[in-house]
Amino acid sequence: MQLTSETLEAAIEQLAKLPGVGRKSAQRLAMFLVKQPEEPVLRLAQSLIALKRTIRSCSVCHTITDGETCPICANPKRANGMVCVVEEPKDVYAIEKTGEFKGRYHVLGGVISPLENIGPEDIRVKELLARIHGDEGITELILALNPDAEGEATTYYLHKLVSPLGVTLTRIAHGIPMGAELEYIDEATLSKALAGRRGF
Amino acid sequence: MFCRRTELDRFRNHRDSVMEWVPGVNLLSGPNGAGKTNLVDAIHYLCMSRSFVAASDQFVAMHGAGQFALSGVFGGAIRADFSLSCTWVRGEGKTFFVNGSPLDRLTDLIGRVPVVVLSPEDRALTGEGPEYRRSFIDGLISQTSAAYLADLVEYRRVLRQRNRLLMQAALQHRPPAPELDAWNDLFARSAARIVAKRNAVLDTFRRLLAEEYAFMAGVGHEPDFTYRTNASDEPAENLARLEAGRDRERERGQTLIGPHRDDLLFTLDGIELRRYGSQGQHRLFAFALKLAQRRYFTDILEDQPIFLLDDVFGDLDPGKTRTLLEMLDAQSGQTFITAANPDPLTSVLDFTGNHRHFRVAHAV
Ligand SMILES: [Zn+2]
Repeated sequence: MQLTSETLEAAIEQLAKLPGVGRKSAQRLAMFLVKQPEEPVLRLAQSLIALKRTIRSCSVCHTITDGETCPICANPKRANGMVCVVEEPKDVYAIEKTGEFKGRYHVLGGVISPLENIGPEDIRVKELLARIHGDEGITELILALNPDAEGEATTYYLHKLVSPLGVTLTRIAHGIPMGAELEYIDEATLSKALAGRRGF
Repeated sequence: MFCRRTELDRFRNHRDSVMEWVPGVNLLSGPNGAGKTNLVDAIHYLCMSRSFVAASDQFVAMHGAGQFALSGVFGGAIRADFSLSCTWVRGEGKTFFVNGSPLDRLTDLIGRVPVVVLSPEDRALTGEGPEYRRSFIDGLISQTSAAYLADLVEYRRVLRQRNRLLMQAALQHRPPAPELDAWNDLFARSAARIVAKRNAVLDTFRRLLAEEYAFMAGVGHEPDFTYRTNASDEPAENLARLEAGRDRERERGQTLIGPHRDDLLFTLDGIELRRYGSQGQHRLFAFALKLAQRRYFTDILEDQPIFLLDDVFGDLDPGKTRTLLEMLDAQSGQTFITAANPDPLTSVLDFTGNHRHFRVAHAV
C-alpha cells in the first residue's frame, strides 16, 4: 500500500491505541476528523490536552477532578459519615449514576494482586486509614470492589484491617454476576446491590 | 445436540473443507494423514475452544498459515439451530462467535454444545499422571455447570496469586506478606466449593460407570474409584489444613493443599487399575468412563451430547464393536467415528439411511 499522507497515518496509529478501537475504526475516525470543519476538531484536541493538564485526583477521595477537592467531597451534605470504597474513578461514576448513594467515596487506585506485584502499600490503604482516624467523622465503610478474586482478597484485607477501628463495615450484596466488572453492570442491579449491602 | 455442518478454513491440513453431517452415526474412513481426525477435531474445537489433538493453537493453523477459521451449525432436541464460529490469528489469539456475536469470555462457550471424546490419547486417563484425571473431572462437571466453571476459573486465579506470595517469600527467605491471610480465606472458600461439587458429581457418576462397564465387558466385574483429595468441602477445615501445613508450604514456596492436587484412583474388582490392569482392561475402562460421561450429560441436559470416537475401534473385538454400534443406532445422539479400516463397522451398521459413511481421501 502506498501512503498518501504521513500525517493521517500518524493520527490513525495514535487512535488505534485507544481501548476498543481497532485499526479499521481508527481509520474511520481519522477520515471523519479530516472531513470535519476546523472548529470542532480543535475543540476535541483542546479537551484532550485539558484531560492531561487540568485533571488531578481529589485530595480527599482521590477520584479524578479539576480542583483541589472534587464536588462530592466539597459538598457538606455528603459528609454523612458513609464512605464507599471503590477500585477506580470509573466506579465512582457507575455508583453516582444510580443516584442512590449520598455519602463520599474513597478510590483505592487498584486492588491487591501479587501476580502484578501490587501489595496493600501500592494502593491507597494508608490514605483510607488516615481518613478514618481524621476528623471526617466516618462511621460506615461500604466496600464496593469488583467481585473477582483480587477484589475479594482486597475486601477481606480491608475488613481485617478496619474492623478493630470501630467503624461499621458493609459490602455491596453480590447480586452482581461473577466476573462482571462494576462499570458494566446496569444501574438497576447496582442500586439493588447498594440497598442490599450486608455486614460480614 | 448435533452438528449439521462444519466449515474449515486453514484448520490443520484442511485448506477449505465444508461438511454436511447426519444426526446419527457419521463414519469417517480413509488412510492415516488424510485428515479424518481433523474434521472431528474441528467440531471439538468449536464446542470446547480447543483441539483434543494439538497441545497448542500454534499447531492448529495449517502449516505456514498465520490464521484459521471454523464455523458450524448446531441444533438440539430442545433448542433452535444456532451457529458457532471462531477465528484465530497468530499473535492475536482466538475469538468465538455465537450467531455472529462475539463472546466476551471463552467460558461462555463451554456447555453450549456438550461433547464427549474418546481417542487413543485417553490411554493417559487410566495409565498416567493425576492431571489427566483432574481434567476429566473438570470436563465432566464444567460442561453442565457454568457455576462450577466460574468457581474453577476463580480457584486457579487465587491459587496463582497465593503461590506468587509464597514463592516471593521463599526466594527472599522471609515470611510471606501479611495479605496472605486474605488470600487464605478466599482460597479456603474457593477450594471448598470445588471439592463439594466434585464429591456430589462423582457420587452420581459412580453408578453410571458401573453400568457402562457392565455394558461393555459383561456383568460380574466391579469397576470403581476413590476420590482422593487433601482438601475439604468445609472452608474452616481448609484453613486449618493450610495452617497445619504452613512450614512445609513456606519451604516449598507453593500451595500444597487443595483440589489442584486431587486424583481418582481407579480400581477393578478391588485391584488398582493403573498398576495392575491389563491393556484390555484399561481400554474397556476408558470406554466405560466416556460412556458414563455421555450418560451423565444426557440425564442432566435431557439431550444427548455429541460423541466423538477417534480411532478407537481398531483394538476392539467384533462382539464389543457390534454391541456399541447397536446401542448408538438405537439411541438418538449424534456420533462421529474415525477409522482407518471401516469394514468392521460397515458390516454391522447400515450407512445408507440415518447414518452416513464419508471416505476421506485427501483434504482440499
Ligand atoms: Zn473527592
